[in-house]
Amino acid sequence: MIKAENLYFSYTGSPPYVLNGINLEIGGGEYISVVGENGSGKSTLMRLILKFIKPTRGNIITQVQRIGYVPQKNDFSNSNFPITVYEMLNSYRRLLKLKDKNMLMEKLGQVGMSDFTGALMGNLSGGQSQKILIARALMGNPDLLILDEPSTGVDIRSQKEIYGFLKKINKENGITIVSVEHNLDAAISNSTLIYHLTDGQGHLCTPRQYADEFLNMKGKVDNTHA
Amino acid sequence: MLSYGFMQNAIFVSIFISILCPCIGIFLVLRRYSMIGDTLSHASLAGITIGLMTNQNPILGAFLFTSICGALIEFLRGYFKKYTDLILTIVLSLSVGTAITIISSGKLHANADSFMFGSILTVTRFDMVMVLILSLISVLTLILLYHQMIYIAYDEETAKIAGVRVRLINYIFSILVSAAISVSIRIVGVLVLSSMIALPVATALQLGKGFKLTLIFSIVFSVIDILLGLFLSYYLNVAPGGFTALISVAILIIVLIAKKLLSSLRSIRSR
Repeated sequence: MIKAENLYFSYTGSPPYVLNGINLEIGGGEYISVVGENGSGKSTLMRLILKFIKPTRGNIITQVQRIGYVPQKNDFSNSNFPITVYEMLNSYRRLLKLKDKNMLMEKLGQVGMSDFTGALMGNLSGGQSQKILIARALMGNPDLLILDEPSTGVDIRSQKEIYGFLKKINKENGITIVSVEHNLDAAISNSTLIYHLTDGQGHLCTPRQYADEFLNMKGKVDNTHA
Repeated sequence: MLSYGFMQNAIFVSIFISILCPCIGIFLVLRRYSMIGDTLSHASLAGITIGLMTNQNPILGAFLFTSICGALIEFLRGYFKKYTDLILTIVLSLSVGTAITIISSGKLHANADSFMFGSILTVTRFDMVMVLILSLISVLTLILLYHQMIYIAYDEETAKIAGVRVRLINYIFSILVSAAISVSIRIVGVLVLSSMIALPVATALQLGKGFKLTLIFSIVFSVIDILLGLFLSYYLNVAPGGFTALISVAILIIVLIAKKLLSSLRSIRSR
């Protein structure tokens, strides 16, 4: 579904590279969390998958019918933008040229937000707006869902609901999920695989393997400080 | 007053301006590009002077030169990604430099002052036809691109994923801004034109409604601003452009005060 070969990326077009020779293959139906420190290249990798930017060297192929994208709330969220939930979803439906108007309410129902059609996006809480953005991303029934730090600015209860829902659509509908995560608990509990990026290079591991790696790293850091 | 032919022409043009300007302005304000309106209105002055110098219709000259400047802004955006405000300074320098050089050369075949301050006496039948055509094309294009424009303003990355050709629509939009400015300069004048683009939208935003209602209220405020400005400037014998800008600011202040009073009343009641 997603295949990266010898992928290099630098914002200046020359070394040092943000992504340094990435080789990655993601099959259909996986739930992959991309984790790593700030500046490790998580968001850059996601932007390459979404084709917002082009690789400096190497290539990345995304073979999907439709991608659903849930941006990081703080990235675009224009809290003063005068738009209601209905307007936001309906305009997106029109962009995708989807004729079925019922789809809008159906997707809102799936995330438990049917009563919010008239609400202004700017007046919603972090959890509520994240659910609406997931509903939007699911319009058109995508086979790949990409999320950028879905728990940022979201309360614990809503986080549980959101991750529970993501896990459900991954298992029941077979939607492949790629989620850039800073929430390591969520990554370990929900993912089928974890892609760990460090200094522009990465490797795939199971959540269990990653938990062990993380505890080892943490132990080393604690010992150094002790 | 309404029996005068020039006043009927001015009202005809004003109604089109008051619909077109907020339709364009809402996207400019929400994308935080209000200053583009100001830059392009100065570009229109250069277009007017070129039109007057070459014995062509000044509004057509304004539309062509402003469209070129609008496209130039969009083009330069790729080169000055981190200094977008610099682009406006470059285009402003080019426009004002052109206008001042032509005006000071003494080669103009007519007076450009009426375009700076706005005038209701100078609206010709040809201007009215131009205004009608440009306004209709602009409003139709906006209706066709409505959902794309909303998404480019609200969430450009998601718009790209949904297949919106953001760059192309940005170029089309810059031509629409140029059309709105060219249509408005006769009545409103170059110097205060950006107020007609931004202020009715700023007032409507205070009402805290969704996009469609904010757009409708922007048009309502714009119609009130321009018609009040036109009638009162006639009786006070002042330039309509400046007075319309003053009325726009006054209505914005009234709405801000009313909003503050209402929220105070609500908090008193809820205690």
